[in-house]
Amino acid sequence: MKITYPSQRLSLRFFMLMLLLFGLQVAYGLLLAAQQADPTLLAGTLNFNVIRASHLTLGILWIVCGFVGATLFVAPLLARRDIAAPALVKLLFYALIAIVIWNVSTQVLSMRGEAGWWLDQPWLINGLEYLEGGRIFGFALLVGFILLAFIVLRTFPPVKQWNEVHWGLGLGISALVLVWIFGLFYVSRLDLQEYFRWYVVHYWVEGVWEVIHISLIGILIVLMFKASVRSVGFAVFWGITLVWLSGLIGNAHHYFWIGTPEFWQFWGSFFSAMEPVPLVFCFWHIYLDAHANKRPLENAPAFYFILGSTVLELVGAGILGFVMTFALTNAWSHGTWITAGHGHLALFGTFGMLGIGAAYWAVPAVRKAPDFDQRLGKLGFWFLFTGILGMALSFAFGGMVQAYVIRILGLEWVGGDVAPAMGVFKLTLPLFGFLFAAGAAIVIYDLATLGKPAPVPSEILPATGWRRPLSGFEAGIWLAFICLFGMVITFSLLAFNLPRVRVEGDPTLPYLLGGVGYLGLFGVTLGFVLRFTASLGARLRTPAPAAPTPDLSVAT
Amino acid sequence: MSCSSEDKNCETPRRNAALIVLVLMAVIFLVLSAFSFVDSRGQVTPDQISYKGFSADEGKRVFQAYNCMGCHTIVGNGAYLGPDLTKEYKHAGPAWLEAFLPSAGSWPTAAAVRTHLATPEQLALAEAASWDDYLAKYPGSGERIERRGGQPTHMPNLAFREGEVAKLIAFLKYTSAMDNEGWPPAILSGDLQRRLALAGGAQAAAPATSSAAAPGAAAPAVAADPVKQGEQLVASLGCVACHATDASRKVGPGWGGVYGHEVELADGSKVKADKDYLRDSILKPNAQVVAGFPAGVMPSYEGQLKDDELDAVVAYLASLSDKKEQP
Repeated sequence: MKITYPSQRLSLRFFMLMLLLFGLQVAYGLLLAAQQADPTLLAGTLNFNVIRASHLTLGILWIVCGFVGATLFVAPLLARRDIAAPALVKLLFYALIAIVIWNVSTQVLSMRGEAGWWLDQPWLINGLEYLEGGRIFGFALLVGFILLAFIVLRTFPPVKQWNEVHWGLGLGISALVLVWIFGLFYVSRLDLQEYFRWYVVHYWVEGVWEVIHISLIGILIVLMFKASVRSVGFAVFWGITLVWLSGLIGNAHHYFWIGTPEFWQFWGSFFSAMEPVPLVFCFWHIYLDAHANKRPLENAPAFYFILGSTVLELVGAGILGFVMTFALTNAWSHGTWITAGHGHLALFGTFGMLGIGAAYWAVPAVRKAPDFDQRLGKLGFWFLFTGILGMALSFAFGGMVQAYVIRILGLEWVGGDVAPAMGVFKLTLPLFGFLFAAGAAIVIYDLATLGKPAPVPSEILPATGWRRPLSGFEAGIWLAFICLFGMVITFSLLAFNLPRVRVEGDPTLPYLLGGVGYLGLFGVTLGFVLRFTASLGARLRTPAPAAPTPDLSVAT
Repeated sequence: MSCSSEDKNCETPRRNAALIVLVLMAVIFLVLSAFSFVDSRGQVTPDQISYKGFSADEGKRVFQAYNCMGCHTIVGNGAYLGPDLTKEYKHAGPAWLEAFLPSAGSWPTAAAVRTHLATPEQLALAEAASWDDYLAKYPGSGERIERRGGQPTHMPNLAFREGEVAKLIAFLKYTSAMDNEGWPPAILSGDLQRRLALAGGAQAAAPATSSAAAPGAAAPAVAADPVKQGEQLVASLGCVACHATDASRKVGPGWGGVYGHEVELADGSKVKADKDYLRDSILKPNAQVVAGFPAGVMPSYEGQLKDDELDAVVAYLASLSDKKEQP
């Protein structure tokens, strides 16, 4: 856990910016949760849509910051040389700060309806979900992505020497630019606009971020467990290929109700139902790589977050995406909190945790503090992990009630009918939000101050009972239960189609199945991560044999 | 399989095959996409729909400028605080939207909606023959007036510029006309009373609150005192959705301290707010607009009020002449 090339230090500032934006996003999120409970809060001063716009954009920007930090940290290892244009990296950093300030401060214009129309484009704000920034923001970010791609590709060796990891990261970083372009023009038709808007949102997450995610996880696994680049490269290639095979047409699950033809319901349901396959594959690989050798775990917080990222990718993105991917289930989940549960668990779980995990690997290395106190980091992980699971649970249950009230009973008076019915879950949401915010505060404080060596010799726990090594068979059982509860949730949404629910108005069956499914799924998820980390507990903090940083650029 | 992942002879053809399948999928996706937007499908487009001379496209620009998607969903996408807007036009109709949007902080009363159905042109715009026909054609309007009229909403007032409300209605008329493959699903769970009973149990047993239930207007009988009668009228007409009873600004100017004092008009001239000025402002609201407020927001109440009712409203406004602040 030390840096090999001086320019790896450039990653540090992006991790710090990431933490700052993360904190800001969490603060905005708490405000949103408070406004969901009491919509008069700050009404007229900072309307819900202003705060939500910043909450979403900050979410995108801090995840990108984490990607940039992690990429800058590993690019020299992949290239066997320093970063090609350090001056450009610094420019990118300050430009990113300027973009953030610009975007957060322009969103208030939506309260006065000033989009800055000029040449048929909205230059100040765009007013579309996930694409709230106007063209000035859009083009500035485009330039930023081009700069980043340029820096990474200039640093990398010639294409002929690339292995799968180079390809994954290189393609992912370059595709950031390509996909963003589809959000940079005004479309008059609502159906066509939504068609292209999902190019950005879906293909970013499913096509580009996922690729960067798989590559970075692969690299971090090599660094942490000294796994062979060849085996990780194999996982990276097939992970990415399966993501694209399922996700390319899988985008059609967004084309069910936007005014596009009915045939998308077949294509979308079929292909996007296969989207969990690559995630199961990655899930399995992190088990294999973590347990293939019995090396001690040098950096527990980094691994915890990487594990959390892979598990929540499967549960939040994979399973919770799967349950609402069929036209027959999506008709009920669409436009409700059920999708917000999926969104929060998938986005923070998969990409947010990766950024934090990468920071926990890079920051001690850059600050030359391999013996840092790991307790706060682990504590922060559990707060964040249980907090986000609780939030997703509140969204899911609130969403089921919402779907029943608005789609089955046809009551759309939010203040009079819908919000009172959802009441409890509008309160548990900020409650778990506070738990999550506490975790965020711990992690931000820890990473910002990390560096003062405070080695605490922890006792080595015996590897028996709950802490015995995790066998492949047992991991398979956990996985089977995750899938089983996913099926239960799917059936709970399918049950909305029954005459008993639709005509007689009896929600018992969907509520019961949903209650069992979500509680079971999140319980198993929590249990699995507890078990996995406990099984590594026996390998914690044992003095690591000094090993050189593995050569990531080998041909495979 | 005898072929391991380490064996290049096996792995390379396997990888090439996967990439070929991927290209095939991209082709399928693009072909399906091209078929999605051909004219022969008959999907409605924004250039086919207009309202009061504004195109749906102009409305879409206003929709984006106010980031409506940041609270509402449209075709199910957006935020989940407010209701879905896709079929709003079909549900509540243009007159209800005209009454609601300028003062979104409060639910419109029956009288407020009727001011937008007073003339034959307005009825023609709503494609309704009469008030009753309107209520039948747009089922959501009657339900909303009955259950919510005069009460506060959870939506903040937005200071729409002249024409922006009509543009938004044009956009919502377009989205209502869209074919969304049957989404949102049809409601099959019975009439409103039954559905309310299912949602909340006891609360539905009570009769729906009348639109006159605003504070200070509880007595159904017409008060003898013109000031009291005026107070009842401004509540039932929904005037208080836009006007505060003190000097503060809501959507329009507050009434407190107006009567008998000079007000500055948009054209820079000054006029004394006497009985005649207030009467004219209710009947022809766009003739003499107060400085700092956009014209075209307030509807005319011509034909909505009898002469003595108009006097009562003005008498009530006069009673607020020295009420600068809320007690």
